[in-house]
Amino acid sequence: MKRLFGVFVNGLIIENPLFIIMIGLCSSMAVTTTVANGIGMGVALTFVLVMSELIISLFRNLIPESIRMPIFLIVIAAFTTIMDLEMQAYFPVLSKSMGVFIPLVVVNCIVMGRVEAFSSKQPVADSVVDGLGMGIGYTWVLIALAVVRELLGNGTLLGFQIMPASFSPMIFFILPPGGFLVFSLWMAASNNLRRKLLAGKKPEPTQDSCCTLPENGSAEKA
Amino acid sequence: MKRWQMIKLGLILAVYTIVGCVGLAFVYNSTSKTIAQRQEADLQAGLHEVFPTATGFTPTDKVKSPNSTIVFDAAYTADGPSGSLGIAVKAHGPSYGGPTTLIVGVSTDGTITGVKVLENKDTPGLGANAANPKYYVDKATKTTFPGQFAGKKVSDAFIVKQDVTAITSATITSRSITNLVQAVAKAASDALGTAGSAPVPSSPSSSAVLPSADTVRPSSRAATSSVPGVSILETLVGTKAGTIVGASGKATAKSYDGDVTVLVGVSTDGTITGVQILECTDSLGSPILAPEFAQQFVGKKAGTPLEIGTNIDAVSGATLSSRGATALVKATADALVTALAGGGL
Repeated sequence: MKRLFGVFVNGLIIENPLFIIMIGLCSSMAVTTTVANGIGMGVALTFVLVMSELIISLFRNLIPESIRMPIFLIVIAAFTTIMDLEMQAYFPVLSKSMGVFIPLVVVNCIVMGRVEAFSSKQPVADSVVDGLGMGIGYTWVLIALAVVRELLGNGTLLGFQIMPASFSPMIFFILPPGGFLVFSLWMAASNNLRRKLLAGKKPEPTQDSCCTLPENGSAEKA
Repeated sequence: MKRWQMIKLGLILAVYTIVGCVGLAFVYNSTSKTIAQRQEADLQAGLHEVFPTATGFTPTDKVKSPNSTIVFDAAYTADGPSGSLGIAVKAHGPSYGGPTTLIVGVSTDGTITGVKVLENKDTPGLGANAANPKYYVDKATKTTFPGQFAGKKVSDAFIVKQDVTAITSATITSRSITNLVQAVAKAASDALGTAGSAPVPSSPSSSAVLPSADTVRPSSRAATSSVPGVSILETLVGTKAGTIVGASGKATAKSYDGDVTVLVGVSTDGTITGVQILECTDSLGSPILAPEFAQQFVGKKAGTPLEIGTNIDAVSGATLSSRGATALVKATADALVTALAGGGL
């Protein structure tokens, strides 16, 4: 149980897919102009990630090493299409506003990265928990980015007017440069927290060495 | 042995693919009806919004799109209690962040009855305000951006910042939607037979590029360009009190991956008096239609070099189209100067 909890927490800050592993950044920048889009994209990716990790972990002994990539892609693409169709049917507004980014979950590096580095080698329970942790780690970052961008760039949150009428929206935050700025500030805050969490603790050897920063990298230089 | 290994791997891959496809087929079957219903409901709601009094809509194929960048998805005649009320067209065309889909209604007398934005992928908070029912271009009357087109005549100018109010900080979106509405309105009124409401396209713009002329007439001898690939479609002569003061030409040439068409006016002393970029079918070339780009040519001498980067600024994001248009403007101006010098126009 404790081990599963460790796997889950790992994705939130310590190995956050966006701030530490730094994959799947393009969609995070593009959809976070409104909070609703951020939540939608986060939930969509979490669904695809958990389902793909579950299936691939289940079948991990039946997937020949040499053709594992095409098989991963088939599984990921199938779940993405399922989710795309479900969203078009039951959440048409969300589906419209996120446009091409939903089909592009297929090639989102987070899914491919976690499937390859984690669930193709780990038991089912760990894989599902890893998918949940990574998905929630991705989602909270999207929401954090979107809250700042929507509030300052449009004066609203989830579509409701928050700022007083005299507030003139800072369009800069809606545009890509503002997105990068907000992203970097959140990253600084998150990585500072990460360093405090890791301080005094010997870095535990994580199961997927491919995606972990060597500890003297980010932490020591600052 | 190696061959058997390959076949085995192929079969394994095939099994995974088949299982995936079967799964998808089930999901598709269970959702496709809902998706189709929703799209149909969206469409019907949009059609009723532009023709509130219509009792039904009949598909028609009479309305044709004027160019390849604007696609007409569907067209309907709006049936009223006493005969046809007009035509509603669902169309999409390029905008800043991807295609924008609209429904435009045109009544039998050539008036736009309403415009509804079905889909717009432009920047949220800026261009996306085109589809925002709470974004007013005129706060006093609560007129939305698409709402302002209701009641406009097909023969109106449809120029953003003149007779169309732009969305703040979203000029490209405003302009692309305006162009789309105008294209649909023209095609629909042609199909309705309200011809004659549309002005003769060349004369007003020709006088705009020859501001000093009081009358513009077709030239008795067409100007021709020596530059390969440039074809001059139309040559006009501007006169003031009977004396020739300049000439204008409409010309077209290949640009980046499409065609660009320009209208150039040149005075008798070889100065460019006006330029309009009429059309550009390059994939990202529409920004060069901005009047600010064409304005740069005014006052330049036809004989001097016109180059992007030295005396003409490219429109950012459309450098190659800007370059194509500049070369065409220069070729046309040179041809007109030669024609003016030759006399007998």
